Amino acid sequence: MLTTHLPRLILGALLGGFLALIYGWLIRPVEYVDTTPDSLRTDFRTDYVLMVAESYSADQDLDLAQFRLAALGPLPPDVYATDAIDYALELSFSRTDLEHLNQLALALRALPQPGEIQAP
Amino acid sequence: MSRSGWFPFLIGIGLGLAGGLYYAWILNPVEYTDTAPDSLRADFRADYLALIASAYAGTEDLVRARARLALFSGLEAGTELAALAQQRLAGGFGEFGEVEAAALARLAADLASPPRSPGSTPTGRPPTPSTPIPSPQPSSTPRPTPTAGAPFTLASQEQVCNPLLSAPLIQVEVSDAAEGGVPGIEIIVVWDTGEDHFFTGLKPELGQGYADFTMTEGISYTLRLADSGQLVTDLSTHECEDEEGLTYLGSWLLQFEQPGR
Repeated sequence: MLTTHLPRLILGALLGGFLALIYGWLIRPVEYVDTTPDSLRTDFRTDYVLMVAESYSADQDLDLAQFRLAALGPLPPDVYATDAIDYALELSFSRTDLEHLNQLALALRALPQPGEIQAP
Repeated sequence: MSRSGWFPFLIGIGLGLAGGLYYAWILNPVEYTDTAPDSLRADFRADYLALIASAYAGTEDLVRARARLALFSGLEAGTELAALAQQRLAGGFGEFGEVEAAALARLAADLASPPRSPGSTPTGRPPTPSTPIPSPQPSSTPRPTPTAGAPFTLASQEQVCNPLLSAPLIQVEVSDAAEGGVPGIEIIVVWDTGEDHFFTGLKPELGQGYADFTMTEGISYTLRLADSGQLVTDLSTHECEDEEGLTYLGSWLLQFEQPGR
């Protein structure tokens, strides 16, 4: 009994798996919707940080800058600024852009680290 | 096949489908990486637009703001930014709401009637792209496809003085990791009063990855590939001199490449 039906079962399973892939990849492929900023590609992420830096250069509101950078993930905000500077250097961003990013990174690094004891 | 012969076959299909979906949804679900701003959820999209406006408040670079807004397909920028400003003012956005509302309102207003930049020509007519609105061109020969997810990056940017060109151009060449020209790449160029889209591959005699755009003297352009976040700013005509000492307007050549695998 098993010997008779097993090949058909396997053939059906293979066909079913194949149909699932056709459905998933061709008929109804993944659409990237409702994503979050932490999934942005490196170039878009860098531009995001650059926008935060440009905004910070005008309002000098570091709380707002940190709030915005927090959307990129759980790492400390200065990490995102540093990563953006690295990418901007690699792609030869303009001097003004680099200055904005650097200004933001310096301000973020000057913040007391979590757990750091501040002088009274 | 007898009726009883179909039964295990159908059971197998069901098991295959169930196994495939279990793998796709439970064992190895989709992870969203390397996404573009256009796919952001509505609330993050609103935050992103507010950030564009805040950055504009810092730089007053309307061309750059336009280039960033062009990341969102189908965006009615003026209307949507004004609506967002109202939402921010209506409350619920904490202490930052008013600051962002002001920035959004200002950008919406400047998009509607842009402040004249010093270099703008009095007529301010937007330039006409030298390439028509494209339809994707099929390639006749097999070619390496671009690396999925890897953005094209600007490999070189140089001023070109070529008296044979009838008009000052922004010439763009896009090549993939195998250094082959890539057709069908959308390019967005924006200036203080408008924007235009053009595509590579519509002048195959100049290369599958080639496209160009005619500049107007006195206007500063910002360019980016539609699928890339990198902005190329301050593109404008420049003076060149021919062998007889006569001056004419020069062009730009931008070469974009895709990093290798």
